[in-house]
This record gives sequence, structure tokens and C-alpha cells, in this order.
Amino acid sequence: MKNFMIKTVSIALLIAISFGANAQLTGTQIIEKTYNRATGEDQTSQLTMTLTNSRGQTRVREITQFSKDFGNVEKSIMFFQSPADVKNTSFMSWSYDNNKSDDQWIYLPALKKTKRISSDSKSDYFMGSDFTYDDLGDRKIDADNHKLLKTELVNGKSCYVVKSVSKDDDYMYSKTITWIDKSTYVGVKKEFYDEDDELLKILTIKKVQKVSGFYVVTNSEMKNVQKNHKTSIVLSGVKINTNIPASKFTERMMTRGM
Amino acid sequence: MENLLKKLLKLPWLTFVITIVISAGLFYLMKQNSRMETDLDKYMPQDHPAFVYSDKAEDWFDINDGIIVAIENQNGIYNSETLDTLKQLTKSLQKLDEIEKADVTSLYTADNIVGDDVGMDVKRFFKRVPKSEEKIEALQQNVKSNEMVYGRLVSKNEKVTIIVAEIKDDIFSQEFYNEILELTASFETDNIKIHVAGRPIVEGTMALLGPADMKRMVPIVLLVIALVLFVMLRSIKSTILTMAVVFFSTLWAFGAMALFNVPIYAVSTMIPVMLIAIGVADGIHLYSHLQLFLQKKPNATKKEASVDMIKNMWKPVVMTSITTAVGFVSLLTSEVYPIKYFGIFTALGVLAAMVFSLTLIPAGIMIFGLPKVKKIKKENIEQQGFAHRFAATIIKRRSISIIATALIIVASVIGLQKVWINSSFLDKFEKDSDIVLTDKFINQNFGGTTQLNLILDAGNNKNAFKKPEVLKLVNKMQNKIENDLQIVGNSFSLTDYITRMNKVMNADKEEFNVIPETNEMVAQYLLLYEMSGDPENLNKVVDYDYQKINVTFQLKSDNSKAINSTIDIIETFEDDFKKHGIVAKYAGSGYKGLVFSDLILEGQILSLILSLIIVVILLSIMFKNIKIGLIGAVPIIITALISFGTMGFLNIPLSTTTALLSSIAVGIGIDYAVHFIEQYKKNALETGNIILTAKKTMAHSGRAILFNAVVVIAGFMVLLFSVFPPNRALGALVSLNMFTSFIGTLTVMLVILYSGNLYFKKQ
Repeated sequence: MKNFMIKTVSIALLIAISFGANAQLTGTQIIEKTYNRATGEDQTSQLTMTLTNSRGQTRVREITQFSKDFGNVEKSIMFFQSPADVKNTSFMSWSYDNNKSDDQWIYLPALKKTKRISSDSKSDYFMGSDFTYDDLGDRKIDADNHKLLKTELVNGKSCYVVKSVSKDDDYMYSKTITWIDKSTYVGVKKEFYDEDDELLKILTIKKVQKVSGFYVVTNSEMKNVQKNHKTSIVLSGVKINTNIPASKFTERMMTRGM
Repeated sequence: MENLLKKLLKLPWLTFVITIVISAGLFYLMKQNSRMETDLDKYMPQDHPAFVYSDKAEDWFDINDGIIVAIENQNGIYNSETLDTLKQLTKSLQKLDEIEKADVTSLYTADNIVGDDVGMDVKRFFKRVPKSEEKIEALQQNVKSNEMVYGRLVSKNEKVTIIVAEIKDDIFSQEFYNEILELTASFETDNIKIHVAGRPIVEGTMALLGPADMKRMVPIVLLVIALVLFVMLRSIKSTILTMAVVFFSTLWAFGAMALFNVPIYAVSTMIPVMLIAIGVADGIHLYSHLQLFLQKKPNATKKEASVDMIKNMWKPVVMTSITTAVGFVSLLTSEVYPIKYFGIFTALGVLAAMVFSLTLIPAGIMIFGLPKVKKIKKENIEQQGFAHRFAATIIKRRSISIIATALIIVASVIGLQKVWINSSFLDKFEKDSDIVLTDKFINQNFGGTTQLNLILDAGNNKNAFKKPEVLKLVNKMQNKIENDLQIVGNSFSLTDYITRMNKVMNADKEEFNVIPETNEMVAQYLLLYEMSGDPENLNKVVDYDYQKINVTFQLKSDNSKAINSTIDIIETFEDDFKKHGIVAKYAGSGYKGLVFSDLILEGQILSLILSLIIVVILLSIMFKNIKIGLIGAVPIIITALISFGTMGFLNIPLSTTTALLSSIAVGIGIDYAVHFIEQYKKNALETGNIILTAKKTMAHSGRAILFNAVVVIAGFMVLLFSVFPPNRALGALVSLNMFTSFIGTLTVMLVILYSGNLYFKKQ
């Protein structure tokens, strides 16, 4: 999986500053610019994930995460800090640029064993949240047909509105519509439509911060409008390019905890 | 009263016009306002604690009844044709407007979590239909080794696989059912058979079939009653007018429901049943009196005859009707709204029948003339002779009546012990009907079509269900129930996920198919499941804070005995759960049905006792004698006892319809008793001779009661040909009640009246 918190960000369609803003870009080009923006070599952050169900009950998870881009592979490792009964549970993923599927490992401290996990369904929801792995950045750009619909003002920002339709009829989203800030290529919001073409989820980017010269989405919320669930992801203590050593992303590190 | 009725005699046309105008108005209202209530949840008292909790739990865990679509292939399901059918049908069901996509479960949608030495693998069983033999064989092996699917979604003989589509309570309609049937039929081939079952289908079909059958049968019942009435009364005019009383009173009862915006419930179909049984009585007694009067005074004018009829009969007619109506009003004590409404509107119908009997019938005589007294005098005298001999014999051999009654009461009380309540819907269908056969088929191959949800609730104790000792207890209970009860096919809860994860994370070794030892281990498995499986699945078994879990038992029968036997075992674990601060509660439609039947029965028994007391009091007041009040209750008690006793012996369970029949015992019992006693009293005062009184009463009231019983019994026997078994039971039991009321009044009540020496004190 592609370094997925950073991608959260990116799916979350971050930016990239475009200099050729005036050129008539196609939908695909806009999405490419958004996906391929510079995000730095590595990133460290504290992540707070809050799940809220339709009755207003919440589950809060605090995670420390590290990620690094090694060129053809992106590696990330996450350590659960709370709730207490899952403290030091860790999760590592290596996500490859080519078509090779991700490698994932889980370490359960109570079991004292690291196990490889493989999952073939990319539409799986991430940690019981309203984000799927795909939503978090594993979706390939060429899996969809992208079309620029229009430009529109959102919160005073002029945005591209791009419709992306899956090439695979069986995919869980019939289409997505993305609002991308025209001047910065920062995503503003995204709508996900289910197989019946009904609105399923809305992603809202609530806060974007500039860290070491890179745009990072530090607060986003995914709301499932059909189930009335939502998930918010808030990043804090974001550090970029701190030269995390490659040895951080190993099975041995997973068992050591933070 | 008498004067008012006599005044009305002068304006017979006005009586008719007013009745017809008001009836037309009510009929118009019915056309506008009447609607059938088929959502069974609407029948339940919404504020009853059991229902309140169940509704909440249904919301927490998204508990819904499922339609079960079974795909059967005698050659086995592991071939691309069957698997493709499974996939396409799953997707088609997901696309229906009435069904949420996520609420459809089948082998196509299920996840397969497997483990080996190095790790864990979460996969769909198949996404593209496997074509090659190796792939199909691999699928077969995957299913076989996954307990969460094997025997649940695929039968163990591998010939059947099911799709479960959960729907909300109010979704079912005839159109929707037809849509499902059409859809599934379109997938059938020479090899593949498709069956549709599940509680929504059963419930929905029943809610539609019962009233539909009644609609078909009631006209035939009325026709038969009219025919027999004609044979008895020997007059078309009298027959038509008596039927008119029944017709108008039923129309007014339903019209009043429309007026007050009360929907028609399934039990409301019992209102015409009651009104037919009770409504003809007044007419029969009136005409019977008229005939006897005309025999004595063949040359009387219609005015004289009518005046005499009103003078002699208005009292018993009013007395019987008011007592019967009050008896029905006692149903207001029921907690179940449809039954309250049934009581009120039947009472209204009974009073309407009284008014029509006392106005329309005399008005009819004034307008259309007296019924012809044909040349039946000789026969009549014979009849009278028979009645006299019968009365004399009863009195002479009164010990026989007393002993027989005592024996019957003893037998009935024995039978009574065997009466059981059944909230089953399936038991209401023919044993060889499609719906029962399909259900049986699925129950043979899978866990069961009936679902009982046990909610274990730890209150505000967060994370209670991450504790291994608690989970082990739940697991133990599940195993005990599955092992001890044949009727429980399987059970499912949070423990199944945890044991599965434990096994998978320990290289699929069977010895790890247990609850792990530490709290942390449980928590981490759950986190892992959330990360790798479908977390929505967990929401169906545990709440967000791990304070409550939902344990689902699948039963092979929906009858109350099956559900109760499961609850009995659960209760043996209640103390252990209490030690952990956990209470056991229940949810789901099966359980609600059970509570609902208990409520109905409780209410019925309560109202039966209450109405008996009211009847005794009212009769005591009317006859100014408490002894008469008690004697009048005799036919009611005998009728009710025999009715319940017979049900016990014939293994007819109490259900919503059969329980209501005790009301008919009250209604008819009063009619018979009051008419008989009133006549007895009059004859006693006239003749002063006890034997002659008995004879004359038998010839007058006894004759009318016989007519009444024969007419109604003949009518309700028609229901024995109904296609809906509960309606057949209804027909048989109404007939039985008429018969026992009739016999009881003419034998044992007469004997008690005689022995009580009432109205002859001065001698």
C-alpha cells in the first residue's frame, strides 16, 4: 500500500502547484497532477482516527506512523498507542509501483508473532473506518476514465470538478466526483457513488498545512451518508524529510514497539 | 322504550330510509378510509418493555428478517452453471429497490479468512465464476474448511446454497413477493431449482391469505345461513330481514372503524364472524315468538302481532345485547390494540344489531306484511309435543344432566391443561403447501429459518465482551444449546469470529478453535478482523463499546415450544451472566411473536373472567335476583370450558384467532340464557306450575334456541372447507360453541332453574 497516510492526503487529493494553470487540462491530467505531486521523502506523524456510528458512539484510535518513499517501493509502519488493549500492535505495508500487490504484516503483541496478511479485496474498509484502502490512495489512475465536468467556486476557491468512472463494472463505486483547488491542486472534497449510482460517501478536507514546504492534509472527514457513519483522521506533529532509516521498516522493528 | 318502539311502528318507511341513508354514508366512509394493516409490528403494543427493548436491539445490531433464496442442484452446486446462477441472482437481489445491497449475503459476497504458518489471508470465495476443475475444487475445499460458511450458506451435502436478503419490517407486499418469485423463476433451468422462504414471506403471505380466504368464505357462510334460516322460519321476508340485521350491523361496525380511522387488522375479520353468530339470534327469537303468537291468534292484524312481539320481546333482546356488548367491551383490558378495537367495534355491532332487530323487523312486518303461517300446524303441534316431552324428560332424569355435566367439566379441565399457546405462523398453513414444504427443505439442509436473538447486555460496563471468561461462557451456552436441542440448527455470535481468528492466526490448527486466554488477545484479534475483514459484520454481533452482544440462534421451527425450549436453556446461564453484571434479553420477530401471543392470551383470560363477572352482575340486576345472575353464567362457563378442553385434546394450540373464540362463548351463552330465563320467568308467573313452565319455555325459547344453533352451526360448518387452516379451526370451534351453549342451556341450566325453585317460592 502506498504509504497510505501520505496518500490520505493525496487522495485527499492534494495539490501540487501547477504552473501551466491556464492550459486546457483534461480530467486525466488534472488527476495526475493531483496524484503525483511532491510529498517529500519521508513522513512521521501522530494520527488520531475517530469513528462515529449513527448513534453518535465513537471509537478513537491513536497511532504513530512512519512512511518513506524508496523509489519503486513505498513503506509505512504504524504503531497503535491506544486503546490500551491494542497498544503496540503494529502494522507494516510495502507498496510497489509496478503491478505487484502490496506486502502487509501485522504484529500482535499478545500473540508475540508477526504475521503476513494478504487481502485481495482492495475495496476493504481500512480498520473499520469509512475509508477503503483505495480511498486512501491505492487506486491506480488508469483504473478510471476521468472527465473534467466544469469549474466551480467552493469556499471561495475556484475548483476543477472531475468525474471519474470505473472501467470495471464490478467496482464498488460507479463513479466519484472530485473538487480540486485550481490554483494549488489541493483536493477540497470528493463524492463517492455506489453501484446503483447513489451518493454513498462524502470526503471533506478540513485542514491543509504546509510542512517543510509540502502540503499535508491534516484533517479530513469521510462521511457515509447512507449509513450515517463517519470517520475523521487528524494528523499532528507532522515531520517531513527527517531521514528515517530504512531499518525502521522491518519485521524486527514491528515487534519492538515505539 | 316500549312506547318509543310502538310509535316507530307508525313510521316504518322512515325507519328504513334512515337506516339506509346512514348505512350509505358509512359505506362511503369505508370506501374512503378503510385500509388493511399488514405490518405485524403495528399489532404489538409499542410501549411494552419487551417490544421497546427488542426494537432498540433491532436497531443496534441491524436485526431484520431475511428472505431465503435456496438454489438447489441435484448434481451438486460445484459447477460453473450453478455458481454463475448464484452470482447473478445475488447481484439481481442487490439491485432490487426494496433491498439494501449490503443486506444480501451469499457465498458470492462472503469473505474467506484462512491462515497458514506465515500469515493470514482474506479473500472472497470467488469473484469471477471459476471455470476450471481445479479452481472449482479449490473453492469446494475452501468452503468445507470454513465453519462460518459450511452448513450456513452451503448445505453439507453440497447440493444447495442459499442467498439471504434481509428486508425491513414494512417492505413486504404481494407485489414484492411476486417480483421475487418472478426473478427467481427466471433463473431456473433443468438442473437448477430455486426455492424462496423465510419469515417475511410466511408473515406476509399469512397476513394476506387469512383475510382473503375470509372474504371468499363469508358470502358462502351467509348464503348457507340464509338458506337454513329460510327452512327454519319458512318465510322469505323473515329470512331477508334477519339477514339485513346482520348485514347492517356488520356494515355499521366497519363503518364506525372507518369513521374513527381505525385500520382493519387481521383480527377484525373476526367481527363479521361474531356478528353473524350473535346477530341472527335476535331475529330468530322475534320471529319465533311471532309465529307462536299467530298460531294462537291466526286472525291477528300485523299491527297487533307487531305490538305483541315488541311488548314481549324487547326486554330479552335489549338485555342480551347489552350484556353481550359489555362482555366485548371487557376486551379493552387487553394490551393489544387490535383486540381492544375488536372488542369495541364488535360491541358496537351487537348494539346496532339490537337496534335493527327492534326497528327494522317490526317495520318490515308493517311494510311487507306478516310472514305467512303455512299449513304447518300439525307439524308444529308435533314440535310442541316433542318440546314438552323433552322438557319433562330432562327434569325427570335431571341427575343424568348433572352427572354428564360434571364429567364433561372434569374432562375439560384435564384437556385445559394440555392447551398450549402457539405464535407460529407456519403452523397456520397446510402441511403440504409450498410455503411449508420449502421451509422444511431449507430446515433439512441448513440451520433453520427461524431466528431468535439473544441480547447480552452489560449495561454501562465498557469492554465487558472482550473478557475471555465472559466469551467462554457465551461459547459454552451456544455449544450446550446446539448440542442439546435438535431444533436449533446453529448459533452465531462474536465468539465465532474470535475463535475463527484464533485458529487462523495459529496456522489453522483445530486446537486453537477456542476463545484465547487474555483480554489483549481478544482485543487484538478484533482489531485485526476490523482491519482485514468486513467490519460491518462485527456491528451485527457487538456494539461499539463492547457492552452488548447479539447471539443469533437459528431454529428449525417457529412454534412457541421451539423458542421456549431455547429460552429455557439460556435461563440456566442467567446466574452465571449476572456474576459478570450481564443480563439476558431477547429481540427479533420470533421473540416478539411469542410475547405477543402470551399477551393476547393473558388478556383473553382476564377479559373472559371479567366479562363473566359483569354478566353475573348485569343479569342479577336485570332479573333482580343474584341466583339468576349465577345461573345465567352456567352456559357461558360450560361453553368456554368445553371449547378450551377440546382444543387441548385435539392439540389445537391457542393462537390469536382461537383465543378470541372465548368471546363468542360469552356472546352466545348470554343470548341463550337470557331468552330462556326471561321466558321461564314469564311462564312461571303466568302458570304457577313448574312442570308446565318448563314445557312451555322449552316450546318457545327452546325452539328458538334450536333454530339459532342449527342456523349458525350450518353456516360455520362451511368454513371447514376453507383453504386456510386457522379459518377451518375457527369454523369447527364456533360450531362446537354453538352446540354446547345450546345443549347446556336446554339441559343443565333448565335443571338448575328447576332445582332452584325460582319464581315458585310462594307455593
